Amino acid sequence: MRVPLSWLHEFVDPGLSAEGLADVLTAGGLEVEAVERPTGGARGVTVVEVRSAAPVPGSDKLTLVQAFDGEREWEIVCGARNYQVGDKVPAALPGAVLPGPDPTRPVEIGRRKLMGIVSNGMLASARELGIGDDHRGIWILDRDAPIGADLTEWLDLDDAVLDIDVTPDRGYALSILGVARDVAALTGAELRVPETLAPDGDPGVPVVIDDAERCRRFDARRITGVRVGPSPAWLQRRLAAAGMRPISNIVDATNYAMLETGNPIHAYDVALLAGPRIEVRTASPGETLRTLDGVERELDSDDLVIADADGPVGLAGVMGGAGTEINDGTTDVLLEVANFSAATVLRTARRHGLHTEGSRRWERMVPPSSAPVAATVAAGLITRHAGGAVVGGTDHYPGRREPEAVRLRPARARSLLGLDLDTGAQQAALEAIGCTVNEGAAGELAVVPPAYRPDLLLEVDLYEEIVRIHGYGRVPETVPSSGAAGGRSPRDVARRAVRRALAGAGWTEVMPFPFVADADLAVLGLDAGDPRRTTVALVNPLSKEESVLRTTLLPGLLRAVRHNANRQTTDLAIFETGPAFLPPTPEEPGADGGPTGVVLPAEPLMLALAAAGAFEPARHDRPPRPVDLYDLLGAVEVVRRSVGGRTLEARPTDEPPYHPGRAARVLLDGVDVGVVGELHPRVVAAYEVPARTLAGELRLDRIVAEGVRHPVAAAPSPLPGLRFDVAVLVDEGVPAADVEAAVRAGAGDGLTELTLFDVFRGPQLGEGRKSLAYALRLDDPERQLSDVDEAAAIEAVARSVAARVGGRLRR
Amino acid sequence: MNGTFDAEGVRRDALAAIAAACDLAELEAAKAAVVGRRGTLTAAQRSLGALPEDERRRTGAAVNAVRAAVAQAEAARRAELEDERDRVVLAQEAIDVTLPPRTPPRGALHPINETMDAMLDILVGLGYRVVTGPEVESDWYNFDALNTPVDHPARTLKDSIYVRSLVDVPPRADGTTGILLRTETSPVQARTMLAQPPPVYVVIPGRVYRQDTPDATHLPMFHQIEGLAVDTDLSFTDLRGTLAELARALLGPETGLRFRPHYFPFTEPSAELDAWHSGRWMELLGSGMVHPNVLRTCGYDPEQVQGFAFGMGVERMAMVRHGIGDLRLFVENDLRFLSAFA
Repeated sequence: MRVPLSWLHEFVDPGLSAEGLADVLTAGGLEVEAVERPTGGARGVTVVEVRSAAPVPGSDKLTLVQAFDGEREWEIVCGARNYQVGDKVPAALPGAVLPGPDPTRPVEIGRRKLMGIVSNGMLASARELGIGDDHRGIWILDRDAPIGADLTEWLDLDDAVLDIDVTPDRGYALSILGVARDVAALTGAELRVPETLAPDGDPGVPVVIDDAERCRRFDARRITGVRVGPSPAWLQRRLAAAGMRPISNIVDATNYAMLETGNPIHAYDVALLAGPRIEVRTASPGETLRTLDGVERELDSDDLVIADADGPVGLAGVMGGAGTEINDGTTDVLLEVANFSAATVLRTARRHGLHTEGSRRWERMVPPSSAPVAATVAAGLITRHAGGAVVGGTDHYPGRREPEAVRLRPARARSLLGLDLDTGAQQAALEAIGCTVNEGAAGELAVVPPAYRPDLLLEVDLYEEIVRIHGYGRVPETVPSSGAAGGRSPRDVARRAVRRALAGAGWTEVMPFPFVADADLAVLGLDAGDPRRTTVALVNPLSKEESVLRTTLLPGLLRAVRHNANRQTTDLAIFETGPAFLPPTPEEPGADGGPTGVVLPAEPLMLALAAAGAFEPARHDRPPRPVDLYDLLGAVEVVRRSVGGRTLEARPTDEPPYHPGRAARVLLDGVDVGVVGELHPRVVAAYEVPARTLAGELRLDRIVAEGVRHPVAAAPSPLPGLRFDVAVLVDEGVPAADVEAAVRAGAGDGLTELTLFDVFRGPQLGEGRKSLAYALRLDDPERQLSDVDEAAAIEAVARSVAARVGGRLRR
Repeated sequence: MNGTFDAEGVRRDALAAIAAACDLAELEAAKAAVVGRRGTLTAAQRSLGALPEDERRRTGAAVNAVRAAVAQAEAARRAELEDERDRVVLAQEAIDVTLPPRTPPRGALHPINETMDAMLDILVGLGYRVVTGPEVESDWYNFDALNTPVDHPARTLKDSIYVRSLVDVPPRADGTTGILLRTETSPVQARTMLAQPPPVYVVIPGRVYRQDTPDATHLPMFHQIEGLAVDTDLSFTDLRGTLAELARALLGPETGLRFRPHYFPFTEPSAELDAWHSGRWMELLGSGMVHPNVLRTCGYDPEQVQGFAFGMGVERMAMVRHGIGDLRLFVENDLRFLSAFA
């Protein structure tokens, strides 16, 4: 809501600057987003009279104007011709300043030569003055404009405008009068409310209301003998300052009255109303209406319409019809100052995609009490500026309701607000906003909100008004104790530990949107039967490429890899934790959807990783080391440690989207948690990621299920222990894990460290053979281990590898 | 040995050799020539047994005296030579300390998650328990339970991202389905209250979604943190104090704050907290006393308990913390941006 200060001052003047008032209103719940001044920087513009106008020789466009400023005549060359001798127009004489196209750089006007003639400045359009959009010609001022006056002073163009962001509950503030009421309540300044005139006499246009719920009131006033023309400049300017385009003295009067009182108004040309009669009813099947914007609209049987004897002439509360519109020849006007319910206007506006200044107000509840107020303002303006006389009016009010009192328990208000406000103080705050307060039973108050505050329905609504008038800024700060230790769930703690450990190990956390296309999953090579191919679809996705929710985090990560690779970031290791979305199954149900029985998808928490290029970039002393599967398995090992997992097992796997020989299913403490691997070359090609990109996806929900397990630490042996190496010769096909298990078994319980430090292949070993060299450490807290123990251990390892993996020790 | 032990001669020769030694190896050799296995002094010592009693005593004393003198001279010369070696040899071993340090591979946590964690830490410190909920929600939890009017614009396809029903239920006339990507973390408030009796002090972090095309100030997916406190006697002053504590912990103890009325369907009275930042007021969070309708829907008796709720955007706080002007940076996943947080 845009509130010109001068308009507000007609009703209340607290003696504050625009900025001071803005602070008061913001603190009072009407947030002022900006204080604007409409001049746009125009200064020194003079009102002049056109004394003569003659064509400039040699030009078919330019005119030489003699303009009188009260003291002398100025020669001004002008491109427009919409004025006549005797018209009052704005002139920017030399020295005047206009806003110019860039508002931060005002332009000083000087003399300049056009077609050989010196022009003393220029005549200006409204747009050139920065106070409107009208650029069709020079702005023709009112006949009573004082020649020689400073235009900005005369038109009050320095008037500040407060731009208020009105919250949905405060529909009353979509009017100057409503804002004025709050200013008065918040500052104690006196409020001056103009007199409201009740309609009188038969307008000659019967009004029938079919539905008193949706149309609670209809104040119809008829004015005959009007002459349609432009509104006076001050009115046009106020409308423009408030954000509405001036149209004609009739339409402007209805808009002005709406802005002032909050009650939208529509004006009909009675000559065009069939009957003439008015009916407020819902549309019949098949009915259409061409609205003021020229659109032919098919009406819905839920649309509330205003109809004449022939059919609909307006969409109630949204927009009037083109057929009965006020036009240049209109002499007989009927004002519709009605009251429509918020819900009916909202539905119709939404259905037709038609959101107007009027519908915006109806949607936030206009009280029926404002109808005669608005009618008085509009009729007064029309008769004043368009001539004619009010010949009659009727006020149909079938939806009249007695105001209901809201119970207020002062003690409860004190408790909820935490403020020591006695009953008298609470009553005073409510009376300041217009409530009628009576004593009720047992110290309670019976509060009747004013008619213009239909938003006050509950006791808590009154609490807000009490503390608002008291001042939010005066509310003390207290910090309560929850009486318990706060904290994160073990799962959240574990998830955070995993993320932090991965970041410390060289992985960067990313955050893709969870939207994918079904095609993204198909190109991963997943079988049609794979659960990840059954997606949860969006009704209104942002784009076709983002039409379903992800069932796997991989597409998002691979897109991030591509995005970076395309920007020359080719060495990368990224990860994400977050949910995948899967249709629920008995094993994997979704969350409870509530009493309406909605079925929700399962949202398993996943961890996904992707890497490409060098895991360790080149240094001056070391070549780059390309990332490989063992970096991904390393990440999984980091994850294991971060949650205190005990064992990690990798098993070869052949499944999409991975390379059949370079992927591992990983088991954490025996639980299958997912797969990591090099991507299949086809997937690499489909996603346009660098060759040999690796990825992996783990069930983080399973990994963090028990939180972070605290490691159990044994006291180390007080004795130094024994270190020695063994080299195991085995067939190429024997997995390292099997060899390690054999060594471990052979070395026995005393084994405290086991490290594979070399894998060697060579002709001396024979074709298809490899040698795995391990460093072992044995500890025994009871006694000093000796060469004898070492020899015995080596023998035991030799027997074990022979038996378990068909290997032998190289000695 | 022929004749008597020439103590003076041995001493003179040994000291001369020690003095002449140019490096530690020569010194070692000079020393060995006297006290080594084949050294002159060692030989003299070995032959002592063959001497008569009084000569043995005399010669023994002389040998010891020479040994001590040699040892002293050798130690002194050794110190000199070691200093010399340190000066020359270690100087040659000097390396360029300005070469790049060797670090483990560089990783980073996402600034949104880090900011969210920092915010959670403050509230955990105030005694709140962190709870989470699903991102795909029913409109009952997302809207109905939170007192959202039936005609509220947030319920439309224009504002919210709806999900096709997972069971065979046709969409409604307006295209909505009853299931959507949650627009706030507030449905978890309802879930929490329905699952446990009061008192409740919880904080709810998470991702939320709106029907918005990404630009500098909008994203279809962003993050919120909400707090909910319901107890027997919590008041509006507790709300203001808690919000102020949170804001000052995040932005600094001297931060200017503005507490003003606002509107939310799920709270009454409602309030917004602004913080003075970079020369202007910045909306920091929305809040209010939990609406009695919400308490009632969630199985609490508004005559018995009362409390407050608040919510704030994580992105805005992350922008302030890190001086970021465009929201899209958070979701583009450009490592040139993210590695700033390593």
